[in-house]
Amino acid sequence: MDPVSLPARVATLVVAFLAVVAGVLWVVFDIIGPQPQTENYTAYAKDGQVNVTMMTTAQTTVTNKPDWVTYFIQNPSTKQFDHTTYFAVPANTTVNVTILGYDGCTPLRNPLWGQVAGTVGNVENVQYYNGKAFSAAQNLSTFDSWANCSVQHTFAIPSLGLNVPIASVTTFDENSNLCGTSPCTDADQDQNSPHTVVKFTFKTPSTPGAYRWQCFVPCGLGYVDGNGGPMGTPGYMMGQMEVQS
Amino acid sequence: MAADASSAAAPIRPSWRSDRDTVWLLTLWIVLSIIGCLLVALVWGPHMPPGRASNTAASQATDITVLATIATPVIIGVLLYFGWALAFWRQKPGDETDAAPLHGNIKVQATWIVGTSAIVLALAVYGTVELIAPAGAGAGQGPQPIFKNGVPPAASTTSWSPNSNNILQVQVIGQQWAWTYRYPQFGGFETTELTLPVNQPVQFNITSLDVIHSFWAYTLGVKADANPGVNNVAYTTPNTVGEFQVRCAELCGIWHGSMYDTGTVMTDSNFMAWTQSESTKLASVTKLLPPYALTYDPTAVNNMGKVNTALGLTGAGGGYYNPADPEQP
Repeated sequence: MDPVSLPARVATLVVAFLAVVAGVLWVVFDIIGPQPQTENYTAYAKDGQVNVTMMTTAQTTVTNKPDWVTYFIQNPSTKQFDHTTYFAVPANTTVNVTILGYDGCTPLRNPLWGQVAGTVGNVENVQYYNGKAFSAAQNLSTFDSWANCSVQHTFAIPSLGLNVPIASVTTFDENSNLCGTSPCTDADQDQNSPHTVVKFTFKTPSTPGAYRWQCFVPCGLGYVDGNGGPMGTPGYMMGQMEVQS
Repeated sequence: MAADASSAAAPIRPSWRSDRDTVWLLTLWIVLSIIGCLLVALVWGPHMPPGRASNTAASQATDITVLATIATPVIIGVLLYFGWALAFWRQKPGDETDAAPLHGNIKVQATWIVGTSAIVLALAVYGTVELIAPAGAGAGQGPQPIFKNGVPPAASTTSWSPNSNNILQVQVIGQQWAWTYRYPQFGGFETTELTLPVNQPVQFNITSLDVIHSFWAYTLGVKADANPGVNNVAYTTPNTVGEFQVRCAELCGIWHGSMYDTGTVMTDSNFMAWTQSESTKLASVTKLLPPYALTYDPTAVNNMGKVNTALGLTGAGGGYYNPADPEQP
């Protein structure tokens, strides 16, 4: 007679099987599955245009990764900045993007990404705020992030050939007095911190689909060569633009 | 026991060794193999991957066709024998006798060993020749490629013109998560578009500026790892005007699956016009790039700004943050 009875063996097999299934489900739903919420701008498009507003910050105090740099996207309805990098826009539409850049400068790993590409006119419009006053707006097409303290992140959609370096404040003092919480809001006067306002326009493709976007600045503090961490995590320095029909 | 006694008295020679079966099997195998080889070589062969859009791709397609053709009689032999056994050597109802004991067969074993050895050694010779001579699959990559497509080393790394016996240099730079391409013979501009002239030998210098990637221009028959600090070389000569896909074939991060783009093969005149256009379009950023080198060193920056320095930002050693930062690994 077997030392282990048939029911016991069957029960062990079933438990082991369920444990494996539970592990797979946990990985799928708890690790892979959760994605940032999507700010849907499609309903707010008018006359073939839609306005999207984002923000970059030097930290993410609204999460358990406070030392990670991140993007926020403004909710088109509440006007609050939500911690997400996913947004939806209609197809074949002109998207007017405004990015409030509250982070400091970091050199680009590949200087090629210092050139604006894929926007209307291949330029971005930049205003600098030094904590007291705004500079005059100017159209810029190329940034030398090594020679100058000029770039904090990029907003790039490689499949569309879109690349926009996000201008940074340019002085040591400004970089040392960045907004201390995130998102930077009126409530704690953080919006008076030095920052930039970057505006650019691009056209969404006529083909609906998901277009991923990312930052090309190695801004993952504490990770080898600045890669990893927020650079490889949806909701921080990478996201997705859903183009809807 | 009665059954054992009767089986012991049964004829020793079982049905599967009958001459009739042997003749049928051999005849069928030869006929089916001839048909199969012709179908594989002549019908399937022209459609074998990766196609014939370049000399390297065509060579690989030929290799795959040759291997598939050689494998065809082997596969047919195994399946035919298996099917024959299922159909004709089935145990008859009520027959519970054992099969005849096997004592080995020198002739069969010798034939098997000689035959398989001949096939494997022939393929080894063929594979070695293909690796070295006409750029078969896998040839021509690595820091010191053994294959150069019969083309001498680049006569100039700063200029190029079609049909000049001066191989076109294209640096492929992998980065999370995009490919960029640098053309040192046209002022060293770097672009996100991979464009090649038709019927002109190309030397890809493949590297990475972060993690390990793998440059895979599938329809051109080119695949080589992109390692940081390493220059892997691969050669090809595109022979068809049109587009081709480029993918990363090395898991390189969360958006590895999105790391692809479309390359273009165009006529010589269009290629020269394209290089002129790109060179002009990218002039302002080209002067910001590090000096051209076979390994892309993003830390080779001549003009480190004062503010960046004051902030403790540095390119030294690949670090981008203050070396004193306790969080810096």
